[in-house]
Amino acid sequence: MDVKHINAFITGLMEVTSMLGIDSLTRTALNARENLKTENEVNIIIGLVGDIRGNVVLSMQEKTAMNVASKMMGGLPVNEFDLISKSALCELTNMVSGRSASELEKIGVLTNITPPTLIHGSNLISLISQVETLVVKFTAEEGVIELNIATEN
Amino acid sequence: MDLNATIAPFVRASNNIFKEMFDLNIHKGQAEAEEDSFTSQGFTVMVGLIGGWEGWFFLDMSQETALKLASIMVGEDYSSVEDEEVLLAGAEIANIIGGNAITDINNIHSGLNIRLTPPSVFAGKDMSMFNVRLNACSILLQTDAGNVKLNVVMKERK
Repeated sequence: MDVKHINAFITGLMEVTSMLGIDSLTRTALNARENLKTENEVNIIIGLVGDIRGNVVLSMQEKTAMNVASKMMGGLPVNEFDLISKSALCELTNMVSGRSASELEKIGVLTNITPPTLIHGSNLISLISQVETLVVKFTAEEGVIELNIATEN
Repeated sequence: MDLNATIAPFVRASNNIFKEMFDLNIHKGQAEAEEDSFTSQGFTVMVGLIGGWEGWFFLDMSQETALKLASIMVGEDYSSVEDEEVLLAGAEIANIIGGNAITDINNIHSGLNIRLTPPSVFAGKDMSMFNVRLNACSILLQTDAGNVKLNVVMKERK
C-alpha cells in the first residue's frame, strides 16, 4: 500500500467534509486494523478497480452518523437513523470517492469506484478485502470517523 | 436493465460451484425484485462490480450456514464467525461465484468488461444493507447447508 494513495483518500474526506460544514475534523491516529470486530454501527463501503484494487470503508457510530447527516441537511434535527440519513451518508461517501479518484488521477493512478453500500448493524464483524487494512481516525465535533483503507497495487 | 438477466449468470455459477466444491444440490426459488435495502441473514459477502455496468453482488446466508460451508471447504470445524478463516472462506466462495458469473456476462455482452473488486465480509445480527438509488434483484437458493441468498444490484455506468 502506497502512502500517496492513502493521502488521496485523506484529502478527499477532509475537503468534502469541510465543504459540507464539518470544519472541526482533524486526523488523530493511523493504525493497522487489528480486530475483526467493530464498535461502529454505520459502515459505508466502496470498491475500487484499476491501477489500485480494493475496498475503502467509512465507519462511524450511529450517533456520529446522525450528527453528520444533520449537518449535511443544514442543521435539520435527525432523531432517528432513517432512510434520508442513510442517503445523506451514501452521498457523502460518493463525493469523497469522486474527490479521491481525482486526487489519485493527479499522481497518475487511474481507478474506477463502485457506488457506495451502507451496512448498518450493531456488534459487527468485518473483513475488508483480503489484505491488511489501514485505519485513519478523524475526530470532529460530530464524533469520530474512521477511514478503513484496504488496497493493493 | 432487465434484472432477471443480470442475476441468471450468478445463479448458474452458484449451481456449479455448490455442486463442485461442496457437493450440495441447490433448489432455486423465484427471482424477486427488491428495493434499495435488504436485511442480512447474519453473514454477507459483498463483491463490487465495475465496467460497463456497476454495482454489487451480495452472497448472504445465516452464520450457521457460513460455518458449515467453511468447514466443508477447509476440512475443520468452526464454532464462530469471529474466526478469520470463516470470513476468508466466505470471501473466497463469493469471489469464485462472482468471477464465474462475470466471465459469463462479459462473454454475452461484449464490450462491458466488468471487473470485480476484492470481496469484503460483514457479519452481525439485524444487519441491513442499503444501496442508494439502486434496485436489487434477489433469489433464495435452498441447499442442505441452509438458505443462501444471491442479491445483485447493478446499473449502467454513465
